[in-house]
Amino acid sequence: MAAVLEVEDLVVRFETHQGTVRAVNGLSMSLQPGETLGVVGESGSGKSVASLALLGLVPNPPGVVEAKRLKVAGQDLLGLDRRGLQQLRGKEIAMIFQDPMTSLNPLLTVERQLTEVLERHEGLTRREARKRAAAALSDVGIPAPETRLDSYPHQLSGGMRQRVMIAMALLCNPKVLVADEPTTALDVTIQAQVLELLKDLQRRHGTALLLITHDLGVVAGMADRLHVMYAGRVVEAGPAADVLTSPLHPYTQGLLRSVPRIRGPLGARLDAIDGSPPDLAALPAGCSFAARCGLRTDACTKSPPPLVPVLAGRRSACLEAEALLLRSGVKA
Amino acid sequence: MIRFLARRLLWFAITLLGVVTISFFLMRAVRGGPFDGERRLHPAIEANLAARYHLDWPLWRQYLQYLGPFDWSDQGIGALLHVEADTDALQRLPADRVEGRTFRVGSSVVTWTGELGPTPLGGVLTGDLGPSFKYRDFTVNDIIGQSLPISVALGSVALLFALTLGLVAGIGSALWRGTNIDLSLRLAATAGIALPNFVIAGFLIILFAFLMPLLPVAGWGSPRHMVLPGFALGAPFAAYIARLARTGLLEVLSKDHIRTARAKGLSEWLILVRHALKGGLLPVVSYLGPATAGILTGSLVIERLFGIPGTGSHFVNSALNRDYTLSMGVTILYTVLVYSLNTLVDLVYTLLDPRIELEES
Amino acid sequence: MATTARQSKRSPAELQALLREARAQRGTSLGRDAWRRLRRNRGAFYALVFLGLFLAVSWLAPLLPLASPMALDLAVEPQPPAWPLTVNPRRSLAGERPPFGAAPTLSVGALADDGWAHRTYVDVELETPLGQLEPTENPMVRALVTQTAERKATVYLRAGDRPGTFVQRHALPQWDSDRARIDWQPSGERGAVEGTLVRGVDGLYLKLALQRAPGGPTVLAAKARTAVEGVEVELVVEGETGRETRRYPMPWRAAAGARVVGLQLDGVRLPAEAERDAAGQWPAMPDELGEARLALEIAGRSIQLSADLESVKLVDTAGERVALETRARVVPELRAVVHDDLGSRIDRRLTDIGRVVGLEHTDGIWELSALDAGLLHLRTRIFGLWQTGPLLGTDAKGRDLLARIVWGSRISIQVSLVATLCSLAIGVTWGAFAGLMGGRIDNLMMRIVDVLYSVPFIFVVIFLITLLNEYRVELADRGIGYMTVFYVVIGAIYWLTMARVVRGQVLSLKNQEFVEAARMIGASTPRILLAHLVPNVLSVVIVYLTLTVPAVMLFEAFLSFLGLGVEPPRVSWGLLAVDATDSISAVVIYWWAVVFPSLAMGSVLLALNVLGDGLRDALDPNLRGKD
Ligand SMILES: Nc1ncnc2c1ncn2[C@@H]1O[C@H](COP(=O)(O)OP(=O)(O)OP(=O)(O)O)[C@@H](O)[C@H]1O
Ligand SMILES: [Mg+2]
Repeated sequence: MAAVLEVEDLVVRFETHQGTVRAVNGLSMSLQPGETLGVVGESGSGKSVASLALLGLVPNPPGVVEAKRLKVAGQDLLGLDRRGLQQLRGKEIAMIFQDPMTSLNPLLTVERQLTEVLERHEGLTRREARKRAAAALSDVGIPAPETRLDSYPHQLSGGMRQRVMIAMALLCNPKVLVADEPTTALDVTIQAQVLELLKDLQRRHGTALLLITHDLGVVAGMADRLHVMYAGRVVEAGPAADVLTSPLHPYTQGLLRSVPRIRGPLGARLDAIDGSPPDLAALPAGCSFAARCGLRTDACTKSPPPLVPVLAGRRSACLEAEALLLRSGVKA
Repeated sequence: MIRFLARRLLWFAITLLGVVTISFFLMRAVRGGPFDGERRLHPAIEANLAARYHLDWPLWRQYLQYLGPFDWSDQGIGALLHVEADTDALQRLPADRVEGRTFRVGSSVVTWTGELGPTPLGGVLTGDLGPSFKYRDFTVNDIIGQSLPISVALGSVALLFALTLGLVAGIGSALWRGTNIDLSLRLAATAGIALPNFVIAGFLIILFAFLMPLLPVAGWGSPRHMVLPGFALGAPFAAYIARLARTGLLEVLSKDHIRTARAKGLSEWLILVRHALKGGLLPVVSYLGPATAGILTGSLVIERLFGIPGTGSHFVNSALNRDYTLSMGVTILYTVLVYSLNTLVDLVYTLLDPRIELEES
Repeated sequence: MATTARQSKRSPAELQALLREARAQRGTSLGRDAWRRLRRNRGAFYALVFLGLFLAVSWLAPLLPLASPMALDLAVEPQPPAWPLTVNPRRSLAGERPPFGAAPTLSVGALADDGWAHRTYVDVELETPLGQLEPTENPMVRALVTQTAERKATVYLRAGDRPGTFVQRHALPQWDSDRARIDWQPSGERGAVEGTLVRGVDGLYLKLALQRAPGGPTVLAAKARTAVEGVEVELVVEGETGRETRRYPMPWRAAAGARVVGLQLDGVRLPAEAERDAAGQWPAMPDELGEARLALEIAGRSIQLSADLESVKLVDTAGERVALETRARVVPELRAVVHDDLGSRIDRRLTDIGRVVGLEHTDGIWELSALDAGLLHLRTRIFGLWQTGPLLGTDAKGRDLLARIVWGSRISIQVSLVATLCSLAIGVTWGAFAGLMGGRIDNLMMRIVDVLYSVPFIFVVIFLITLLNEYRVELADRGIGYMTVFYVVIGAIYWLTMARVVRGQVLSLKNQEFVEAARMIGASTPRILLAHLVPNVLSVVIVYLTLTVPAVMLFEAFLSFLGLGVEPPRVSWGLLAVDATDSISAVVIYWWAVVFPSLAMGSVLLALNVLGDGLRDALDPNLRGKD
């Protein structure tokens, strides 16, 4: 099967008064239909910016997007004009935004915000579109969808709003769905529901899902493959289960250690990663994680280590990956 | 909605009553009547006039007469109540007249006669603003009736100018932000806010009366007469609206839900019209109330400058002439206008913004 | 309850830290940060520099070698701007001091001092000698004027209104005795003469009304006429001793030469000369004067005037700019004894040589503060008698426009500053009190503000000012000048927004952590107010102030424009605007009178607005530390 999303060497810079902020530095990924790719990384690592770049939504100015290849559903995003981009968005690739509270227009009814997608991409009339919208709402488990269509966002709960966002994204059965922390703003039970819902919908429509989160638990339950991002770079990539059990990058290790464990010893201290992420406007010459890394050698500070295969299907951008591999005892 | 309007109406009534009462008593408290000042009349004539305008009555009775709805003259309720000045003669009234139905109000003695004649209605409450003190053959209603349509026409033209020019400039400036178009529009807007309307009017007159005589610079009658005064009156408000529209629109355009709309693949035009304009222009809508009040105020100057026989000139003149009734009539009129327009604007605002509940405010 | 729960979680050390942070945030960093951002905002920075320069010029006005902003020169047409710089020597007036004993109009410390003297102008109409095209000064008349007035005169010439004549204008330093005075003496009569004067292109029209006490002697004949010195009504009455003629003189120069169109006697309308017939009936008003209407062409615009001058109707239109003058003299049991004005005295001595056709006084006194008087004095030490020529032209009354703009700015600035401070005082007190008290009191106080908001305030102000006008003498007795009242009234209406803004800020600050922290460590309420709230409210207040100043300045201009503000001879920008619009007549336009005051006013208001916007951005906490 052909990949529905191909990204190679994606770079996003922001030219600000304080200097150039390098939010994404050489990100590469590809996504097969029906596949779920998880992207994790701490706050500010460039996850949202990268996903915006996939829809051509990085504000310009100040943002500048460059890539060797950036293809969505077989179309080259970089070569498209504005109309082309507009036809792609919502139809082939859709996005669920981080914050359902601000991502819906407070002055328009739910109906208006849902139907306009269908009117735009499928040329439906308002009445047909309303029917489809109601169906989509009931799809995402909203009770009494007909009445909900007439309400305004502020009349809905946070969970409902997020469901509306999901319904909106899935209206045209996009080939790629980018979900930027779809559950962060929700409480735990709703979180589980929403995730179940996403899984279910993905199964039914065969949508490829790019799931962005900093919740490793979510990734473990949902993702087939996993990319770990740090300071705008992918530092580790591989099957989700493997990466989570035997990380091959000190940053991933750190992330995993800082997750609180229900089964762990009571009162055990969480290991937060020391230090703070680098200033994106002045990235160090070598590995961006070097300053916080326990395995740092002189070589680390020379040039940024490339993301290279370490095992079959597993890649890491750490010069000491082999050593980590040995220590973890995973067999080649 | 009904409750909102009712509450508004209640506050309005209180405000209006306050305005009427305070200005009524303030005006009478001031030394000097409407018939002195420039011309001093013969006492007999003055007494005559005073009788005609009820100036010989005690203040409370004048006030009630002015307020309405009952007629307090001897043909009206006056027949019911016999009012006499509290003179020495009254002090020495026979005993039977002072007891029972006679009581003292202020400096007068009121006797309840119990015989009600026909009571014609009148006064402010019935919309009758009384006779003018200065233009003795006219009632205030006549004068306002003659001049108000002119002022309203002028004000509407000015508001129209303000809205169209302001919105076009504001939206243009937001869409092309950072360009030279934006810069020059913003500069023009700042200038428009800074310059008083009579300065703008002066330049307009020079321009159109002398450099290229296209439009009449004075008088009233045809639509062509409205252009210059309408523009001069509306320009500062156009500038303010442009500024509001620009900031409002820019703010909305930077909101997350606009990004959502983009992610849905909507065209930029649709995003602007459907998603941005409504929210971005809310500040403009709420500015319309103050703007109309400002336009009313500005018309005082503009009407004088362009020789337009509107209500504005009456206001200043009546205050100077101590034409009590006319002055109060115009004040009441403008209070009503401003208040009802403000209420209208609030209503429109709530229709546009579903988040606002009328009952709250 | 919630707050106590939150408070109890904090350790004293944490509270101290919070406080320190708050203090650091408010103190130097805020000011410095704002200044840094203001400097980077080029528009606002230039506006600040411009305003600084402008303020300096405005306050140093007495020191600058400008012409007098109030010295009229009606003899000449408004002068266009004269570039390049022309500098005229200021004439010494030392020789024109009034002799000992004569009361000079100038008072010490008034702007009218020395070269700023008030003038009296005497216009004498003379025949142009036969065979001579250009009029030349008649030295005999000048000598006569100088002799009668006992002062030196400066002479200007202009063409006369009638063919073959010219007008020789004599400008004299003004004395009090130049004006006509009337001493009223008991006469046993009671009545009032009142006149209405209308100026049309073909001459003056006058209507007179005579009102007498009832029960007086019967009037047999009445006659009204005008002369140079004024109007006279002559009545023939049936006195106790038989027929007698009584005269009611009304010294009223402006009415000289007017055509009397009617005389109203005790409410009866009569022709200018009327006599009862044998039956005791008055003659009927001639038809033509009764109902016919006089159509007058005034400055190209047609107005219709009813013959009795009671109503003026605009036919083609243009405002009621018809010169209607009304003047009344009450004669309460008094007889008028007229002391002639200078014009009449000269006129009598001129006999056949010519006649006095005009007498004008430059009016009023512009009191200067001690500082300004000092500066004015210093100026003469520096510049001597030199002053600038009409760099920006002169206005319709021959006054130097540049000087008027500069001097006018002083009043405009004063008004706006003082009124703004007034609004500040009221608004901040009101708003802060409401905000601090909270609850019911807050609710009530803000309701009041809401209600006041919905009153069209301009009308209240106009109203208040006219009311206060009634009491200006009393106010002046208590040392309260009209201008002070004016400032306070303007300030009193601009406090509403300020109160709202301050209350909002106080409310939001009241619940903030550092205030709570301060309360926790036991700071007293006044201390909290002074140390924490005031500095935080300050930035909002400053921003609002910078936006209020131009608004008030505009408002002053607006009021002056309507004739309710600053009064001549003082000048403010509003009055300049009035002069400017007045100079726009249908025939000629003195563009400089419109353009320069507008430019001055526009640029200052623009700068103030730009600065206000810049300050708002600079002090906006949401933008703090960003660009
Ligand atoms: N418009 C912009 N101008 C300048 N810098 C920006 C802009 N948008 C994003 N950035 C920078 O890009 C970096 C990456 O931001 P991004 O939103 O992608 O982080 P994230 O990984 O999504 O974090 P989170 O988990 O908190 O959502 C941040 O350092 C941010 O400051
Ligand atoms: Mg994000």
